[in-house]
Amino acid sequence: MNALTLLASDPDKFTPPTPQELFELPPIGGIYWLTKPVILAVLTSIIVIVFCWSAFAKPKLVPRGIQNVGEIGYMFVRDQVARPFLGKDADRWMGLLLSMFFMIWVWNLMGVIPFIQFPVASHIAFPAVLAITVYVIKIFLGVKHQGGIGYFKNMMFPPGIPKGMYVLLAPLEFASNMILAPFTHMVRLFANMFAGHMLLAFFSMVGFWFLFEKLTPLGAAVGVLGVVMTIVFTALELLIQFLQAYLFAMLAAMYIGGALHAEH
Amino acid sequence: MSEQERRPEDDGRDFADAAWSAPSYVLSGIAIYGGLGWLLDRWLGTSALFPIGVVLGVVLSVYLFYRKYGR
Repeated sequence: MNALTLLASDPDKFTPPTPQELFELPPIGGIYWLTKPVILAVLTSIIVIVFCWSAFAKPKLVPRGIQNVGEIGYMFVRDQVARPFLGKDADRWMGLLLSMFFMIWVWNLMGVIPFIQFPVASHIAFPAVLAITVYVIKIFLGVKHQGGIGYFKNMMFPPGIPKGMYVLLAPLEFASNMILAPFTHMVRLFANMFAGHMLLAFFSMVGFWFLFEKLTPLGAAVGVLGVVMTIVFTALELLIQFLQAYLFAMLAAMYIGGALHAEH
Repeated sequence: MSEQERRPEDDGRDFADAAWSAPSYVLSGIAIYGGLGWLLDRWLGTSALFPIGVVLGVVLSVYLFYRKYGR
């Protein structure tokens, strides 16, 4: 701790960004809960609502313009996310899955949009709310479709396992489905966005420091490397942002599908 | 509830089910049996049961995983 503060106070040394600097943001306008990610989350909701409204409000038989873009997104979510897990129930869940996918994707994209540059999901509360929502839906549907006892019986006693092993395996199934599944659902999105933001901040700070703050012949090469790595990692981040939005929606569909129909 | 016809998309569903529930099975195996071992260690004053529990948890989760999806 002492060495760290010493290092931070030395103006001639490069100091990598710390999580505190990057993620502990000051409240805006003195309102303690109003921080940058909150504003970005509201902005994201508006973007997604406006997008879906303009794409789907007055659908034409031959889609044009923004409706085309919207339908590509819809088809992707329906064919890759909803149908594999929900089958004939897919259409009923498209509203939830589509808005979830678009919202998380735009949340994540906020991480690379210039001057905004903060992935909303890197504050764990945001993915937590979505994961808990899916968790509640999952349990509600499971109890509704398989019965209060039947749901837990189907979950904890899957067929095809020797009777004696149930003593050891039933608690494992319970913990996996009831405790760790929502947790991994949430953490997977959060950790990816958190780590991605850290990496981008680190490399761009290397570039800024060695090229602008303290330009030296030797340091310039490091600075150029930092800029190149920032570009490379931004491209990678774009891929990960899409992938995590897809995965989150896919896992939501998987949990809902598992609650609607018992595993076989 | 399980008397449905198997459709082609069920295979995709099973594969993804298996792939994405693996981490939470292994973690819960470690948490439950490792935790049990840790509690027994505290109670009995031993120190070997925690690592044994962790290994047992991993073995059991892999076994469960294999029986559910591995055929």
